[in-house]
Amino acid sequence: MRRVVVTGAGALAPVADSPAALHTALCEGRSALKPIELFPLDGLGHRQAGEVRPFEPRDYLGDRNLRPVDRTARLLLVATQQALQESGWTAEMRAAREVGLVLGTMFCSVRTIAEFDRRAVQLGPSYASPLDFANSVINAAAGQAAIWHDLRGINTTMAGGEAAGLLALAYATDLIRQGRAGALLACGAEELCFESFLGHDRAGRLGRRPVPFDAQRDGFALAEGAAALMLEDAGEAAARGAHVLGTVRGHGQAFDPALGEDEGSFAAAVARAVRLALEDAGAEAGDLDLLVVSANGSVVGDRAEARGVAQALGQHAAQIPVAAPKAQLGEALGASGALQALTALGIFGEGVVPGVTGLDATEDGFPLGGVSAETRRLDRRPRLALVHAAGTDGQCCAVVMEAA
Amino acid sequence: MTHRVVVTGLGAVTPVGAGREEVWSHLLAGRSGFAPVESFDTSRYSVHLGAEVRGFDPAPWVRKLDSSRLGRASQLAVAAARMALEDAGIDPGETDPDRAGVAMGTTSGEPREVERFDDRFLAGETGSIGAEFITLYPCHMIAAHVARELGLAGVCTMIPTACAAGNYAIAHGLDLLRQGRADLMLAGGADSFSRITWSGFHRLGAIAPERCQPFDKNRKGMIPGEGAAILVLEPLERARARGVRIYAEVAGYGLSCDAHHMTAAHPEGDGAARAMAGALADAGLRPEDVSYISAHGTGTPTNDRLETLAVLRVFGEAAPRTPMSSVKSMIGHTMGAASAIEALVCSLAVATGMIPPTMNMEEPDGDLDYVPNQARRYDVRVAMNNAYAFGGNNASVIFRRVEA
Repeated sequence: MRRVVVTGAGALAPVADSPAALHTALCEGRSALKPIELFPLDGLGHRQAGEVRPFEPRDYLGDRNLRPVDRTARLLLVATQQALQESGWTAEMRAAREVGLVLGTMFCSVRTIAEFDRRAVQLGPSYASPLDFANSVINAAAGQAAIWHDLRGINTTMAGGEAAGLLALAYATDLIRQGRAGALLACGAEELCFESFLGHDRAGRLGRRPVPFDAQRDGFALAEGAAALMLEDAGEAAARGAHVLGTVRGHGQAFDPALGEDEGSFAAAVARAVRLALEDAGAEAGDLDLLVVSANGSVVGDRAEARGVAQALGQHAAQIPVAAPKAQLGEALGASGALQALTALGIFGEGVVPGVTGLDATEDGFPLGGVSAETRRLDRRPRLALVHAAGTDGQCCAVVMEAA
Repeated sequence: MTHRVVVTGLGAVTPVGAGREEVWSHLLAGRSGFAPVESFDTSRYSVHLGAEVRGFDPAPWVRKLDSSRLGRASQLAVAAARMALEDAGIDPGETDPDRAGVAMGTTSGEPREVERFDDRFLAGETGSIGAEFITLYPCHMIAAHVARELGLAGVCTMIPTACAAGNYAIAHGLDLLRQGRADLMLAGGADSFSRITWSGFHRLGAIAPERCQPFDKNRKGMIPGEGAAILVLEPLERARARGVRIYAEVAGYGLSCDAHHMTAAHPEGDGAARAMAGALADAGLRPEDVSYISAHGTGTPTNDRLETLAVLRVFGEAAPRTPMSSVKSMIGHTMGAASAIEALVCSLAVATGMIPPTMNMEEPDGDLDYVPNQARRYDVRVAMNNAYAFGGNNASVIFRRVEA
């Protein structure tokens, strides 16, 4: 089976506009959460979220016409451009060889969809916008990025709530392993918008204390962003002399058929995904020296994730350092999994693990020993990380990544 | 080792009926599913005929979940899934839940939830928008509801690659089974009839006023529809051990991206041709081995012209003697369900030696054999299923007869 390496990365998040800046911001404990400016908040109970602000796409993308491209796709264009640049896949190389893209997203743009519908309803069918309709499909951002960067390879969009970004990484990894693709951008992207924010607020998922694993947590804080990893077949990357940032060793997935509502059933799904990922990577729990988790402050989800990871890792769960980047970044839905993967790559660099900003105290019997409010430098750089993402509705995905 | 993967169960809810037997007999009989739209008021639009699923009662199929709390696409998907499992002789309660998964495709998820959101917003009743926007709308909930209803705890994936999504989901199911990541996959697609979809295609001038005439010189467009189809996929050795009927083997697939335009296909059919060629290579087949092509065949002037062009490019001299038909002439364009329903068509064409017709054909626009107006008895050893989507997402899947 072919080995899959990461040869480039890109990130656009509320606290950072590059992977290096992301690592710095996480380690400094900078919070993404600020009062919302993207849309009016009439009648909404929660007022803080993680906006990418200021965001002037032209500063990153130049003079090309951005009018047909909505916010989710613009975020994605920036992240993918960075990843392509770092990996050295020039426009000439992309014209000669197929590069693909796999995007994880929850909504793509429910704002575009809703605005398209409201315009047609309010003003009449002839006022419906063809431009918006093109972006109303959930694979729109992936399609726009393909056009923008000339990516003619496999182009797939994966949904899966907060796990979508990691599911996309897993899917892309398998395409390369099987020889279906030589080079793929694995990405996540999500915009913050009124429709998503109102919906999450009404569903009771947003909290005033959105601190992962904190005993007083009461829900998550919504955010936005995009991240991209350039994945390549290791042999092909070596042949062209590409710089390798890390290796994707394996992955596992599972689903909680109780839709994330039952903590025990949810934890069991987490544990299955983690065990499958270790097995797929040919690794043991004791080989891991870093965990990057998706805990976001949700009451049931965080506990299920901690329990499930601990079930799968046994005694090792007490020692392995844990990063929970949503403490700083908030919940960027489909972008989160890809941002988590970048978090792992950032920690591989110098062995500095960002603290869980705002963490006061964990619950009694909390099973993960490596959680700390403070950023700390490890004695040695970690080599093997388990990145795990659980979606609120029960999708679980774990990926094992190895340092270069 | 990689497993050979076969289709052992078929379930569908379509505008011309539900269940394998009814759908197949009606498609072979050339039954039309077009009628005045009932889902919403079309009086402000210039076209009024749609392909809705009439008289669908979710009650017999949705047993564990509360059907009144499911979106329509989820209802259709759950019904198709139950039908497919029954057809395969599988009791979900006796299947290892951890090794059984769901891979679904969709264009819009549950667009009626967005429409409800918009109606309330425009009426100044934002306060009455509830949790359902987040618990029902996100497209990954379709796959999640199928897994929840059937108690499946393996991979649960939603691939929203618009009008090619069903093929993407089946392709993903094939890969998961080939790699041994699951023993049983329910793969297919679902979409509900939607005002948003209608407004969009209406604005593009793409909806035919009276009938859908794929590949006819006088074709006037597509007719939006709704539905769901699910295939039970399992390894060949497992199906043989169970001693069940095998409809066809899923022999391979090819995916590509035009990277050209969001809503218009590549002017030379480039991406479509690469998807077909990729599927043939994956299956180890030559163009002349293909007995039947289930066309994307929407009935729009551009799609059908370019699809004929792409088939000519890939099949060369074999093209004119390879029958190709579009069931969209009867059931319209069921969006994310379309290629899943057409995968059912391919499976049954292989299993029964019958090809459904392209109805409403008066003057063929091209030199291919479009199987006009009459079903045909034909020795179908290999069937290719083509699907193309917004975003330039192209997918071809090949089904092959399994010799006893």
